[in-house]
Amino acid sequence: MGENIKRRTNVILCIISVFVLGILLFPVFWTFITSLKTEQEIFQVPPTFYPHVLNTKSYAAQIETGDFNMFRSFFNSLMISLGAMVIAVVLAVPASYAIARYRFRGRNGMLLCFLVTQMLPVSVLLTPMFIMFRNLHLYNKWGASILADATIGIPFSILILKNYFASIPKDLEEAAWVDGCNKFTTFMRILVPIAKPGIIVCAIFSFLYAWGDLAYGMTFILDQQKRPITAGIFNFMGQYGTRWSYLTAFAIVTIIPVTLIFIFMQKYIIAGMTSGAVKG
Amino acid sequence: MKKMRKFFRYENVGLLFALPAFFYMLIFVGYPIVSNIILSLQNVTVKNLAHGERLFVFLDNYKQLLSDDVFLKALGNTIKFTVVCLVFQFLIGFALALFLNKKFSFAKPVRGLLMIPWMIPMTVTALVFKLLFAGDMGIVNYLLKSLGLIQENIDWLTNPDTAMSVVITANVWIGIPFNTILISTGLTTIPQELYESAAIDGAGKMQQFFKITLPLMRSTIESVLVLGFIYTFKVYDLVYVLTGGGPVNSTHLLSTYSYKQSFELFNYSMGSAIANVLLVILLGVGSFYLKITMDGEEK
Repeated sequence: MGENIKRRTNVILCIISVFVLGILLFPVFWTFITSLKTEQEIFQVPPTFYPHVLNTKSYAAQIETGDFNMFRSFFNSLMISLGAMVIAVVLAVPASYAIARYRFRGRNGMLLCFLVTQMLPVSVLLTPMFIMFRNLHLYNKWGASILADATIGIPFSILILKNYFASIPKDLEEAAWVDGCNKFTTFMRILVPIAKPGIIVCAIFSFLYAWGDLAYGMTFILDQQKRPITAGIFNFMGQYGTRWSYLTAFAIVTIIPVTLIFIFMQKYIIAGMTSGAVKG
Repeated sequence: MKKMRKFFRYENVGLLFALPAFFYMLIFVGYPIVSNIILSLQNVTVKNLAHGERLFVFLDNYKQLLSDDVFLKALGNTIKFTVVCLVFQFLIGFALALFLNKKFSFAKPVRGLLMIPWMIPMTVTALVFKLLFAGDMGIVNYLLKSLGLIQENIDWLTNPDTAMSVVITANVWIGIPFNTILISTGLTTIPQELYESAAIDGAGKMQQFFKITLPLMRSTIESVLVLGFIYTFKVYDLVYVLTGGGPVNSTHLLSTYSYKQSFELFNYSMGSAIANVLLVILLGVGSFYLKITMDGEEK
């Protein structure tokens, strides 16, 4: 499989791979193209494979007018996702270190609990969380989504980081203790910096999970002004079912952060996915 | 004092590091699970959610489910959806992994770009597939017509016979990156020499695949399938946005039907009961995953 291949084979394989990629990514390409067409051109038969009349109004219209402000919901999503990310990382980093390094009482039980939470369907948690957040007066606030979204990031981060911390040689810690660091400062000054790539992976995935969430955002926040962008799209689809230029523009704006993360942090994404702890 | 000291010996310090995360999950996940079980044994609807007495009806909700046609349909749909998705995403993922593990110049960037479908929020994916499979101007209809495969436009999402196939296609599209990456990682762990010596002994490509690749990939395949099952079985957003369970309940899954009972019909207890059925099945299959992971932990 890994044999060094001839130049001609190389060219053929490259061509096939571009073709395959073209098919797999066609849905995204098509959405982008549609967002730049006029409503009229979208319904044209036969369809055009690039916008003959470039129409950027679908993007502009949502900034200027519209009863639904796309950029407000974008901001809501950003705050919710960042909040969930911070909670997940702050809690998961020490916990994963503990699970990797210490054999405290209840360690395996705890690990088992974290594994189980990864398998939970959102439906099991929705109603009780809904009632709980209402009692905590968090209903219709970012806080509800943040607290709920963090529960997806935490177990994932712990499982990833546990392996990172386990791979750091113990001698490093012991040397630090000899130098007079206590357990907490050793952890903060020696281990956290070494585990940084793993922590970035966790931060990215916790962010992405929260960014992609619909169920929590839609159920806990009914106030249009505070809803995340996914819930915004869902509403929008109900209202403007076939205004495809608007809908696709909305979709493209939603995947901007995803695209940026992909461009600048691809290696962390691959690292996270190969770890095998990712939600499929 | 001595007792305190003893508690703070090496191993138990770890507990202090782990407790915040544990308590967080206990409050926001543990408590909801328990309260969901209790809820499913009561008769909570919109009338007595905030005030009023909650009567315990014990297993009545579950009994009622057994005679609920939509529930049985949703259960069947969930199983069908999961199995078909798993088969397709696994086979396509395996083929792509074999292909991308060949050393050609584009292999790495293509593998990277392949991640995109996985990263896109499911709500957007649902919108994208609604666009592709639209009955009037959908590109899928256009392509099928140009190829002469169909004469008339098909209303994919409003026809109970075809809606499920769109839902499955969309979910397979999301699942391919996950399968490809995991299988591709598994493939790189197979020592190259095995193939070389097999080739010298005269084994063909097919034989190499069935005698070397498959047996050595066993644990990878197991975890890909088990994880894939867990995540496919509880898919919610995608289906909810794409079809909302319709038309005529033809695409309802346990997850979407549970949501409908709780948040559209406000039969909270009924929704909880359905969610618990989903959970029990997940835990049953998931116990394989738990066993694999915890066994690895013991070593």
